Amino acid sequence: MNANRRHIASLAWQAGTIVLLLTVWQWAALTYPAPYLPALENIATGFLRLWHGDLLFSAIVPSMTRLAIGFVIAVVVGSVAGLTLGYLRNLDPWVRPVFEYLRFIPAVAILPAALLLFGPTDTMRIFVIAFGSVFPVLLAATDGARRVEPLLLEVARVERLSIPERLFRVILPASLPSIFAGVRIALSIALVMMVISELIAADNGLGFYILRNQRLFQTANVYAGVLAIGTIGLALTLALLAVEKRVLAWHRGWRGLPGADG
Amino acid sequence: MGAAMSEPILVMNKVGKAYSAAVPILRDVSFSQAPGEFVAVVGPSGCGKTTMLRCIAALMQPDQGEVLHLGQQFGDPPPWLSIVFQDYNRSLFPWLSVRQNVGFGLRKIDRRERDERVEQALSAVNLTHAADLYPWQLSGGMQQRCALARSIVVRPQLLLLDEPFASVDAQTRIDLQDMVMDICKKMSLSTLLVTHDIDEAVFMADKVVVLSTRPAQVVEQIEIDLPHPRDQLTTKESPEFLRLRHRVYTLVRHQAQKSAAAHTEREDQ
Amino acid sequence: MEGARVTFRSDTVDAPAPNILTWLFRRVGSLNELLKISPRLGVLVKGAAGVAGAILIWELIRALRIVDPRDLPAFLAIFRTALQGLWGGELAVAIVATIGSWAPGLFIAAVLGVAAGIALALMPRLEVATRPLLEFLRPIPSVALIPVALLVLGIGLQMQLFMIAFASIWPVLFSTKAGVESVDPRFLETGRVLGLGKAARMARIVLPSTLPFVATGLRTASAIALVLAITVEMLTGRPGIGFYIENVRLNGLITEMWAAILVTGVLGYLVNALFMALERIALPWSPENRER
Ligand SMILES: Nc1ncnc2c1ncn2[C@@H]1O[C@H](COP(=O)(O)OP(=O)(O)OP(=O)(O)O)[C@@H](O)[C@H]1O
Ligand SMILES: [Mg+2]
Repeated sequence: MNANRRHIASLAWQAGTIVLLLTVWQWAALTYPAPYLPALENIATGFLRLWHGDLLFSAIVPSMTRLAIGFVIAVVVGSVAGLTLGYLRNLDPWVRPVFEYLRFIPAVAILPAALLLFGPTDTMRIFVIAFGSVFPVLLAATDGARRVEPLLLEVARVERLSIPERLFRVILPASLPSIFAGVRIALSIALVMMVISELIAADNGLGFYILRNQRLFQTANVYAGVLAIGTIGLALTLALLAVEKRVLAWHRGWRGLPGADG
Repeated sequence: MGAAMSEPILVMNKVGKAYSAAVPILRDVSFSQAPGEFVAVVGPSGCGKTTMLRCIAALMQPDQGEVLHLGQQFGDPPPWLSIVFQDYNRSLFPWLSVRQNVGFGLRKIDRRERDERVEQALSAVNLTHAADLYPWQLSGGMQQRCALARSIVVRPQLLLLDEPFASVDAQTRIDLQDMVMDICKKMSLSTLLVTHDIDEAVFMADKVVVLSTRPAQVVEQIEIDLPHPRDQLTTKESPEFLRLRHRVYTLVRHQAQKSAAAHTEREDQ
Repeated sequence: MEGARVTFRSDTVDAPAPNILTWLFRRVGSLNELLKISPRLGVLVKGAAGVAGAILIWELIRALRIVDPRDLPAFLAIFRTALQGLWGGELAVAIVATIGSWAPGLFIAAVLGVAAGIALALMPRLEVATRPLLEFLRPIPSVALIPVALLVLGIGLQMQLFMIAFASIWPVLFSTKAGVESVDPRFLETGRVLGLGKAARMARIVLPSTLPFVATGLRTASAIALVLAITVEMLTGRPGIGFYIENVRLNGLITEMWAAILVTGVLGYLVNALFMALERIALPWSPENRER
């Protein structure tokens, strides 16, 4: 009862803030017209226009396609390489310095090089997205594989599983909680790299849409584009969390048990 | 045929093992196990029983001596061997249901037969009702049975059990003992049971191997010629049982005293 | 028989089926045995071998012409160019310029982020009211705001600082908030029992136990700030390493471009190492340092 009332109160507060902010914005837009302060209805129109017709296929679809391909490559490569590295500890000291170096290169810096090697193509953009987001997955997978309960690996040996079988049936599932944590970070980096690659060299996609409208002083559309990217980011994060919730149902139950790890 | 039957399923020949050179764990451990025989190993806590089992399962290689499975040495667990680990709760896959855990080792056979064998194993350990739960939703005794089902579903010939009844209550323990003896007889398994419990060892086994304190050596092997089938009440009340129990108990207590004496000695220095 | 039984340091490495993979890992295993004599030296030798291997792959890609060798200069040439550029060349100037905007931007983010994080953790009302705003702003990739910032602030240091601070404030803010919220209530009770007032509890209990969280947040923020600094330079031509890389590429100075990327990687590594070292020195009791 009490908790319920508090919940309603907080919802009211939140709605209040949103309404207040929007009102202030609209009031300012009307009283002090400036190019960077478009009226809300213009932003809304621009936003809605993005989701159908021409703009859907020239802005959203190309962006999402590149994001999806680059991100999936990063997740697959990062997981496989990371699990292998984590399982075969012997390999680790050989490759660690190289990875440690590669992962701290600010991913944008690689963009001009990718542009040089691949030209202003989708391959270039996908490469940049994958390069930027592969390392969080790789590190998380390595970490997860290194912490697999040794007894489970012995069970796998007694059951005579081959190395690939061990990787897929024991080490992968045991590392999934860790991998998912890395994938969440990777998703946000992939989005950033998608936008950057489109801001610097593209003739379609959301980044390009934003940049062109900025040059044309169509500010409402700039805001609309940013909103669209935010919406996509939020939707993808929520989708990822939903998948994680399903796939890792066992993990939450298991961890919830007191003393289950000891 | 006759010769093959009498070949021991397991021979330990002067097996030695040390994790570090300064602390030997096993020294010259020798005994053998005939096919279908139930052997119980008793020894003081920390003497190296788990280490011995890991050598037998070829999860580890001994430093000296040899472990022979049907006359052969193995670098990896032989296909006919199965083991229930001491930390059984950590050895169950938390992401698999009980049914999936039990079926884990069954590969390369068709689904129908696989499902059938899993069901059989589950009903043998009385877990059919919990088949779709996760192992971490089970009680200790049920987890133990799940681990047991997983190791018998592959139809092994040699089953290693590392203190399987250590952390369950007395009643469950008795039920599990009967169940394991029943399963082993039905499947004509050779079973190697490591335990702390002298009653349990004498009650269940055909032969009891008594280990010394660290470094573990075989102090004595005692044949248990109690008749089968054994019963929790009548067998345990028979004079023969009491006599054997007395004998094993004396040997083990002697080891425990030696261990205590060694401790005080070390502290004196 | 005897020869076939090889003992391994880590017995999880053994495999049942002798395939190529297994063979390879066994080789690595026995090499490991050789290098075990001095573990430190072993790690060093292996790491160096790994780096040498990476360079070798680079040269191999060149030699096999998988990529046009004109786009992929020899590693040695890149290395030499990098050293020349750093030794009083343009590269050094560019790096100094980047650090010149990175550091103040990060500083602003740190101050505002810590203040906001503490405020949000201590004032639940404020947190509830601003939650929609924060949850809305956070998932927007900050680089998408660069065009907006250009519109509002124009090209200049101000805009660059704003972007750096805006992007890197989030990890600081959220980890500070988490830090304050996770202060062990027993510590606060101890403080009350010992007669500390509210302000004293804040300064002597809440703040110190939050610091490790702040440090972690700052380390993440430092990397993000660097990315933003470089991106803004590339997009708007503000002086710095980002502009330098893009500029030499447009002028066809391929070796200079690779050298600059090489150096940027080192810069990224050093920034992270700097914050790790700061954490170790300033917070030796932090859980992250204790683990090691
Ligand atoms: N991986 C290891 N490295 C070093 N020492 C070990 C290792 N595993 C076990 N030991 C040591 O070897 C000794 C024997 O261990 P082991 O687990 O075999 O004993 P145990 O007889 O099974 O004991 P318990 O009855 O408690 O199960 C112990 O003193 C233990 O500390
Ligand atoms: Mg043991």
